Amino acid sequence: MRALTALLVAIPVFVAGSQSYKNTAPESFKANGQISGARGGAASSIDIAVDKYTPDAEHEVLVKALQQGYEPFLEALRKQPQIGSVKLGPNSYPVRWARERPTDKDHRRVAVMTDKPVFFAGAGAVDAKPTAGFDVALVEFTVDTVGLGTGSMAPAAKVKAGGSTGIEVQDYSGKLIELRTVIRNLK
Amino acid sequence: MRRVPTITAPRVVACTIAGLLILAATAVVDVAAQSNKKPGPETFNAKASVGSEAGRGDAFVTIRIDEWTSEKNIATMEKALKDGGSAAFVTELRRAPVAGHFEAAQQSFSIRWARQRETKTGRVISVVVDKPVYFVGAGVPGAKSKEGYDVAVIQLVMDSSGVGEGTMAAAARVKPGGPDGVEIDAYETAPVKLLSVMKLIK
Repeated sequence: MRALTALLVAIPVFVAGSQSYKNTAPESFKANGQISGARGGAASSIDIAVDKYTPDAEHEVLVKALQQGYEPFLEALRKQPQIGSVKLGPNSYPVRWARERPTDKDHRRVAVMTDKPVFFAGAGAVDAKPTAGFDVALVEFTVDTVGLGTGSMAPAAKVKAGGSTGIEVQDYSGKLIELRTVIRNLK
Repeated sequence: MRRVPTITAPRVVACTIAGLLILAATAVVDVAAQSNKKPGPETFNAKASVGSEAGRGDAFVTIRIDEWTSEKNIATMEKALKDGGSAAFVTELRRAPVAGHFEAAQQSFSIRWARQRETKTGRVISVVVDKPVYFVGAGVPGAKSKEGYDVAVIQLVMDSSGVGEGTMAAAARVKPGGPDGVEIDAYETAPVKLLSVMKLIK
């Protein structure tokens, strides 16, 4: 039986403190996502648009909601204004949380969360597990000052408070989509 | 005119495949009878490829045919389809002896319909798996129900040297109807192509 083991992945950027980086929004990125297994793989182009980054005050609301549990977090997330989008093929998903922070003088880490899952990788398998409970998607990447970078995506995830970074992300497939190239679009 | 299974259509609708279950019958040029001149077991390796606006996926698959399905069993399944529709066909298919296996992503599925027909340039092989192999597109939130897509259908068009290409309905519903009596309703919206099909040399 095909194993669909869950993977816990820490996304350190989520609980990062205040946003000290120069605000670069609005901005958009194009990423090439790849996921591979023993005998196959898939690739896709993903567009990420950030109209503005989540201010500290709204971020704190979400952090507190997460500490109360997954359902309160989802409720709080969905009350946030749409501040961007993640587009996969013909479908677009609203971003309701987006943060960035510098990792060094030449790089910054960007993370965005949608209020809906984008794709259930592996759900086409005959023995696929139920998709319920994986309600968001999370994209995280690092780009340099030129606008080039790499990252990862949990296309259908659930989150919970915990771990060394304060948040644990569990993706439906148990495997993250690798964002092999991320390019910041020129304005 | 050669006709091969084409899994097309906006939003998963029936792809009429002329005689897919009489399968190769429509793809043949001039040799009508089922040929068993090349007895199994035979193994074919291929790359299954599917693409859409959202992306592209590839997987390596293996089709192993141990024996060709007898004319008697073919006739039984065809009659079941004609008289009882999809459900009766699936019932008879699953009663038929295993003719081989389809392998993908470390999973193995039973082939219970395997047929070949000679053509001027080689042969056309048709295969029906007794379960769906994969629901392409089911990962999209809000994807349609998988119910009723109970088999997988594969067609390989091979040349005399053992190289060819093919198509696959990875999750399909076989229905009576259409001008040729058989329709294949594929779950996937984009066709799954079998590229670089190669017969394994023993």
